[in-house]
Amino acid sequence: MAVTELTLEQSDAAILERKERSLFQESLSRLMKNKVAVVSAVFILLLTFVAFLAAFVPIFLDPLEQDLLATNSIPEWMLFLLPDNAENYVKFSNVYPLGSDHLGRDMLSRTMHGARISLSVAIVASAISLLIGTVYGAISGYIGGWVDNIMMRIVDFLYGFPFLIVVILLQAFLKARARQESEGIWLTLININNSMGGLFFLFIAISLINWIGMARIARGSVLSYKKKEFVEAAHALGASEMRILFKHLLPNIIGPLIVAETLAIPGYIFTEAFLSFIGLGVDPPTPSWGIMISEAVQGIRSYPNQVLIPALLLSLTTLAFNFMGDGLRDAFDPRMKE
Amino acid sequence: MFKKRNLLLAVLLLAAFALVACQPEVVTETITEQVEVTRVVTETVVEEGAAVEVTRIVTEEVVVEVPAEEPMMEMPVTLNWNFGTEPPTADPSLSTDTTSVDLVGNMFVGLTKFDPVSGEVSPYLATDWSVSEDGTVYTFNLRDDIAWVNYNPVTGETTQVTDADGNPRFVNAHDVVYGVKRTVDPNTASDYAYVLYIIKNAEAINGGSEEVTLDDLGVVAVDDYTVEFTLENPAGFFPAIAGMWVANPMPQWAIEENDSKWTEAGLIVTNGPYVMESWIHGGELNLVKNPLWVNADDVQIERIEGVMITEASTSFAMYENNELDTTGVPTTEIDRVKADPVLSADFYSAPVPCTYYYGFTNNKPPFDDVRVRTAFSEAIDRQSLIDNVTKGGQTPATSFAPPGIFGAPAPGTVGIGYDPDAAVAALESYLDEKGLTREDMTAMDITLMHNTSEGHALIAAAIQQMWKDVLGIDVRVENQEWAVYLQTIKNTTPLEEMPHIWRLGWCADYPDENNWIHEVFNANAGANRLRREPSQFDELTAQAGQEQDPAVRAELYAEAERILAVDEAAYAPIYHYTTVNVTKPWLTRNFPPLGANDFYNWTIDMDAKLEAQGN
Amino acid sequence: MINYIIRRLLGFIPVLFGITLFTFVLVRAIPGGPFESEKGLPPQVEANRMAQYHLDWPMSKQFISYLFGDDIVAIVTGDEAARDGTSRGLIRGDFGLSTKYRNQTVTDIIKVALPTSAQLGIMSLLLALFIGVPMGTLAALKQNSWIDYTSTFAAVIFMSIPNIVLAPVLIWILALKLNWLPVAGWGAKPPFFLGIFPPPSSLNKEYFQHAVMPVFALGTGSAAVIARLTRASLLQVIREDYIRTARAKGLTERVVIVIHALKNSLIPVITILGPLFAALVTGTFIVEQFFGINGLGKHFVQSVGNRDYTLLMGVTLLYSLFLVGSNLLVDIAYGWLDPRIRFD
Repeated sequence: MAVTELTLEQSDAAILERKERSLFQESLSRLMKNKVAVVSAVFILLLTFVAFLAAFVPIFLDPLEQDLLATNSIPEWMLFLLPDNAENYVKFSNVYPLGSDHLGRDMLSRTMHGARISLSVAIVASAISLLIGTVYGAISGYIGGWVDNIMMRIVDFLYGFPFLIVVILLQAFLKARARQESEGIWLTLININNSMGGLFFLFIAISLINWIGMARIARGSVLSYKKKEFVEAAHALGASEMRILFKHLLPNIIGPLIVAETLAIPGYIFTEAFLSFIGLGVDPPTPSWGIMISEAVQGIRSYPNQVLIPALLLSLTTLAFNFMGDGLRDAFDPRMKE
Repeated sequence: MFKKRNLLLAVLLLAAFALVACQPEVVTETITEQVEVTRVVTETVVEEGAAVEVTRIVTEEVVVEVPAEEPMMEMPVTLNWNFGTEPPTADPSLSTDTTSVDLVGNMFVGLTKFDPVSGEVSPYLATDWSVSEDGTVYTFNLRDDIAWVNYNPVTGETTQVTDADGNPRFVNAHDVVYGVKRTVDPNTASDYAYVLYIIKNAEAINGGSEEVTLDDLGVVAVDDYTVEFTLENPAGFFPAIAGMWVANPMPQWAIEENDSKWTEAGLIVTNGPYVMESWIHGGELNLVKNPLWVNADDVQIERIEGVMITEASTSFAMYENNELDTTGVPTTEIDRVKADPVLSADFYSAPVPCTYYYGFTNNKPPFDDVRVRTAFSEAIDRQSLIDNVTKGGQTPATSFAPPGIFGAPAPGTVGIGYDPDAAVAALESYLDEKGLTREDMTAMDITLMHNTSEGHALIAAAIQQMWKDVLGIDVRVENQEWAVYLQTIKNTTPLEEMPHIWRLGWCADYPDENNWIHEVFNANAGANRLRREPSQFDELTAQAGQEQDPAVRAELYAEAERILAVDEAAYAPIYHYTTVNVTKPWLTRNFPPLGANDFYNWTIDMDAKLEAQGN
Repeated sequence: MINYIIRRLLGFIPVLFGITLFTFVLVRAIPGGPFESEKGLPPQVEANRMAQYHLDWPMSKQFISYLFGDDIVAIVTGDEAARDGTSRGLIRGDFGLSTKYRNQTVTDIIKVALPTSAQLGIMSLLLALFIGVPMGTLAALKQNSWIDYTSTFAAVIFMSIPNIVLAPVLIWILALKLNWLPVAGWGAKPPFFLGIFPPPSSLNKEYFQHAVMPVFALGTGSAAVIARLTRASLLQVIREDYIRTARAKGLTERVVIVIHALKNSLIPVITILGPLFAALVTGTFIVEQFFGINGLGKHFVQSVGNRDYTLLMGVTLLYSLFLVGSNLLVDIAYGWLDPRIRFD
């Protein structure tokens, strides 16, 4: 899990730093020609739509409603997914289009709600780490000198932490605090977290770790651009430092950063699944793909369908983000031209 | 400039390891060997123009193929066992968990033991015991033929330890006294020292009191094979306590010599049916039969190969693959196991003396009113929960101590069970009096908390639904990670942060009600997580502990159980545990309700096992 | 070069110190302690145990004890009673006594668990390299051919299957259905060769049988990452001017690719090898959990749950040490791959 994360971030840092500016229009048309990337993008959009649908349009069953008399049931057509002997122990019910889980909750609506969690982890965590990382890295690279030195030492220091331990510790810390503090800012944070089924702290934990890689890439890009002519020109015209940084430099470096972040998303989704597996993910009964997989995986040889459905979607989603990231990278890098 | 050669060297080293690691399996069932062979050759030689047959003896070296291993020695009768986790310790004084107790129970003897079938206290190291008139002095007579032994991993031999004079060392009363004192000694920091607090001065000494020392502890060796305990007050259950692991005889010389390392394989000195062959921490732990054990002839299993697989699904897969002889069944697999023609024959669920319960915070509104507590307890359909969620054939609980515990009421005779009508009536009586509605109750944000675990979450979710269906009240379920949870439900936590309802379980240390209703719930003796005000109940359990007459004791406990479960409805017992297990047909095992899994009483049909494994 | 290494090594000290301090404070800030128990320990027993691990001391004093040992505590604070403590301090290589496994020091635990994880990790890394680099190279050279598409697709698929699913599925198919492999366990036991490697006597069929599934589960994901990285990087490099020059010089395609292009395109691969090595060698929880491997991975997760302060500190520091160490090796390797990089 964590492996993928580190590697992606690192790899992109290494590659993207070599990038140069390309014409947006041209890139976009290149992107559109990449069918896999387009299909991936459509898939993600579709998934987003489904997630919204599940959350706001009550046409499906309640994902939390349980029926203890219809646990582990499947619709009849699904029998082929189960082991040979399954007809002797499985319950059949056509109330649930994709069957029910071990508490008799609707798999379909849980999976759809799960999409919401996975996508919001993907989008919010990457947005936060992109924001912090870019601003931090850009400032560090632009100002340079001793400020840069100190800021980068801090990054080095944070980078030395084992990613997993820090996420686990942070999650344990935040979750534990959640019950014990009942005042001030903690209370606010806790209320936000509770209303999101534990997601909020998950975002914090994941993005607090991942901005570091972004900061390094951002700094590298700023360093390579800040001596370019258009920056000199802006200086000559008397633009303020902040204006130069955010108005002139940032738009130029943001492309590669977005690509890197897209490629880091599968890692976030995996992290959510991993944390759920060790009991530090979102709070049950909030449905997430990670929780659904880890709840069902013990019984994988009895009810493989309960693992298959969320796992398939999780894999497809990470697949889509990977292909989309690849497509973006290829499209925005002029050297990738045929 | 940077030297390329060094890096090259490093890469080569890595590659060398790669080659070793990636070598295709050199699986040689046979190896070649050079041997000298002497044989008789007859050859025809031409001698002086005539062909003559000569016979001579030659000795030459030839290369032959021999089996890589010696022909299989007779395989020892082996049990493949999953400890489930690394035993936190093998030190009797420090053990608190079932895994450690399994280990200790097979390597050490106690004064008494629990009969694996009836659960009754029976002689073990002690042949018999007597109690003084006032019930405060217990005298145990010990047998003199239990040897202290040590296993040598190099030679593979188990030898008896000798004392300074070279005499073979047998377990004696001084070893018992040492063991008890060691547990009570505050420097040992034993978690379970409190079990021995019934012994005179134990509590003060363990608490680091200045006034009393270990010499004042109420345990003395009257002679080499008689040990005498003086108690704080009469306690009819003391023979059971005396058999617990924390009161085992311990080898003073070995402990003092090797300090905290004395439990390592090779160093550990034991006196039970098995000795420790090897212990690779976190990975595997093997036991072998102690040939010097008094009843060695009755011990059929010669070797226990223990692994430490935490993941239940992996352990179960190993069982299916004949890599384990017995294992637990993950709840999610129970349906399939029961339907499977082979596995269903291996399936067994045995009661364990443990009780799963929901505690109410008795001083937190609205649970400060007995009617609310009664309603919540009566609304739990325990049988449906067992049939649909836990699935392990557990017994619905209406009182605390499970069957098999001295003084425990028979299940269902005392306490309140599922009764939706009564539950609604009790709740409505409360609501009417307070002028509240069900919505008001829901608005009170009633919280049920459990520690993070799949199983607890399932049960909580199911019961949450029952309360909603029967009482029409929404309860919020929360979970906390174990260490935090334990801190949260302490009775020192501010009331606002305390959940209204919380789950816990309790398992027997020794089979007596004192260990249950008194130690857990007595407001003065236990942790009082229920936050009850002391009542008649607390007097009853204290009185019962000191009562000598078993019949009277049982009556007192029954009354105490009733008060707590019915009159006060201070907690909601849910079910008595079972162990859900599959066992291979070649293994005959029992499920001891108390103490360690007694491997020395189990048997294996080794032929059947080897056949199944395809050897 | 030597100066560079020394400078880097000195740079580790504040980083490792910071990590130690931060972790030390954070673990103690998490509510719940190592000695909470379901039975509810009597206060005096809990106090005894707290005292044994110095948890009754103020945090600064505890930290000094952890870092420098109890005798230094006695000197610094004048508390002569501290000399009775057992801590010899991190600087003298003492990670302390585990709070959960009462008879084991953290060093004992690491000595058994790290080699197993390292063997698994190194094999997975080798698998990843041996599959990843050729696959990526091939894909790049045949860009947009079916080879490229197939290998890219395979790579991304393998990156997209979470180990939580892959591991039990492997067990189900390879061990239970086909009966080819044992379900769980690891073929080598201590004492290890050179403290890390499997003893030569245990390098038999059984050892590799046990290794197949976990190495596959761990290695394929990394192989996919490396393949994609190699492809992307090589695609950039073969468009560089110096490669054109090399071709123009009339060098054979093989020489151009292997000697010039591949070497340079490996820089990003080397970059990720640092953290990848640290992560794989110090153990991975899921794979070790499912395949019943007695590695270090479980301690990263369980020590948090058990509030085993000393063990948690130990594994954290160990990982950090591996990470900064392997990153240093990576930086050194840059110099070999790209002569333009200088260590001044």
